[in-house]
Amino acid sequence: MAERLLTFSIFRYNPATPEIPPRMQEFQLDETPNMTLFIALNRLREEQDPSLMFDFVCRAAVCGSCGMLINGRPGLACKTLTQDLPDRITLMPLPVFKLVGDLSVDTGVWFRQLNENLEAWIHTDKEFDPRSPEERMDNTLAQEIYEAERCIECGSCIAACATANMRADFLGAAGLNRIARFLIDPRDERSPYQIFEVVGTDEGVFGCIGLMACDDICPVEIPLQQQLALVRRKMAWAGLTGK
Amino acid sequence: MYLQKTLAKSPRWEAGTELVELITGLFLLGFLQFHLFAVSSIILGQETFNRDSQFLDEYYISYIGIPLVILAILVHGLAAMRKAPWRVEEMRIFLQHSRRLQHLDTWAWLAQILTGLGVLVLSAIHIWSTLSTWPIEAAKSALRVQSGHFSLLLALLLLAEIHAMLGLYRILVKWSWVHRQRFTKYLVYATLGLVALGFVALVVFYFTSVKV
Repeated sequence: MAERLLTFSIFRYNPATPEIPPRMQEFQLDETPNMTLFIALNRLREEQDPSLMFDFVCRAAVCGSCGMLINGRPGLACKTLTQDLPDRITLMPLPVFKLVGDLSVDTGVWFRQLNENLEAWIHTDKEFDPRSPEERMDNTLAQEIYEAERCIECGSCIAACATANMRADFLGAAGLNRIARFLIDPRDERSPYQIFEVVGTDEGVFGCIGLMACDDICPVEIPLQQQLALVRRKMAWAGLTGK
Repeated sequence: MYLQKTLAKSPRWEAGTELVELITGLFLLGFLQFHLFAVSSIILGQETFNRDSQFLDEYYISYIGIPLVILAILVHGLAAMRKAPWRVEEMRIFLQHSRRLQHLDTWAWLAQILTGLGVLVLSAIHIWSTLSTWPIEAAKSALRVQSGHFSLLLALLLLAEIHAMLGLYRILVKWSWVHRQRFTKYLVYATLGLVALGFVALVVFYFTSVKV
C-alpha cells in the first residue's frame, strides 16, 4: 500500500477560552497500515498538539464514547479505518450534545435525562426474591429484547437525525429504541397507554419524520427502522384504544 | 413543571394529528391515481373519456369527491407542514445538516416539502380552471391543454406523483414491517410508470382535434 499523507481538518473550540472563536484547524499525518481514527487522533495529540480534546475508552466499538462527525457523517472513530476515507478528513464533534471541547461532547447528561424521562427501567409490583430461580423467557423474545439492548448510546443516531438537530426535546432513535425494549418485555407491567402518555407525542414517536439517517448510520447496526415502526404501531394503537 | 405545557400537553391530539396526516395522505394518494387513470381514458378516445366523466357526474361522485379532495388537500397540507422547518434557524440547521450528511432520504424530505408546496399552488390553479368550465368534457380539456396549460399540467403531474410516491415511501418506512430496501425500487418503477401514463395522456390531449 502506497503511503498517503493525510490532511485532517479538525473542529477546535474550548468553552473554557471563549475569547478564541470556533475554527477548523489543519493537521497532517502519514498514514500507517490499518490506521484507525483512534490511532490517528492519539498520534496527533502526542506528536503535534497536546491540547486536542477527544474521547475514547474501549477502542472496540463497545463503549460509544468516540462518536464524531467523520466527513460530515456520525460514526465511531475507533471503528473507522483511514484507508476507507479520502486524503482529506474532516472531523467535527457530534451536534445536539453539549460540547466539552474540540471533538469531545457530553452524551451522558443527554442519555441520563432520556432514561429518567422514559423511566427506562422495569416497572413491576412483584417483589424480588434473590433466592428463587430466574423466570424463564422464550428465546425469540429474549433475542428481540437483546436486539434493542445492544445500543451503546454513542449518540450517532441523534446526531444524524434532522428532527433531533432542530428540536432539542425530541427523543430520537436511541430513546424510541429504548422504549421498544420495554414495550415487548412482559416483566414490565406498564400498559402501552401509560407509555403512550410520554412517547405518543410530537417529542416522541410522532415527531419522527422517518428520514432514516439513524438506521443508515447506526454503528452497531440496530434495525432502527423496524424498532421505530414497532413503537409507532403500538403507540397509535394505545392512543386509539386507550389501553 | 411548566403550567402552560402541563395544561396544553395532549398525546391524543398529537397522535390524532399524525393519523389525520396519514389518512388524508392515503386518501389523496388514492385519488391521484384514480384521477390519473380516469384522465388517461382519453388515450382510448374522446367518447370513452366523456362517458367516464358523465358517469362520475351522473352518480354525484364528482360533487362529493371534489369538495372532499379540496378539504383533504387543505387538512393534509396543514397537518404535514407542522413538522417542516419554518423558522429561519431551523431551516438553516436542516440545510446545513443535509449538506454535511449527504444522505438521500434526508434530501428527500426537502423534495417532499417543496413538491408539496408546488402541488398546493398548481392544484389550486388546476381545480379553478376545471371548475370554471364545468362539466368536464374531452373537447374542453383538450382546448385547455392546447391553450397554454400543457406545461402547468405536466409540472403538476410530476410534482404530484413525486410527492405522492415519496409520501407512500415515508408511510411504509414509518409504519410497515418491511425493510425499505425491499420496496424502494418498486416505488421508483411505479412513479416512472404513472408519470409516463400521465405524459402520454397529456400528449394525446395536445393532439386531439377540437371542433370550434
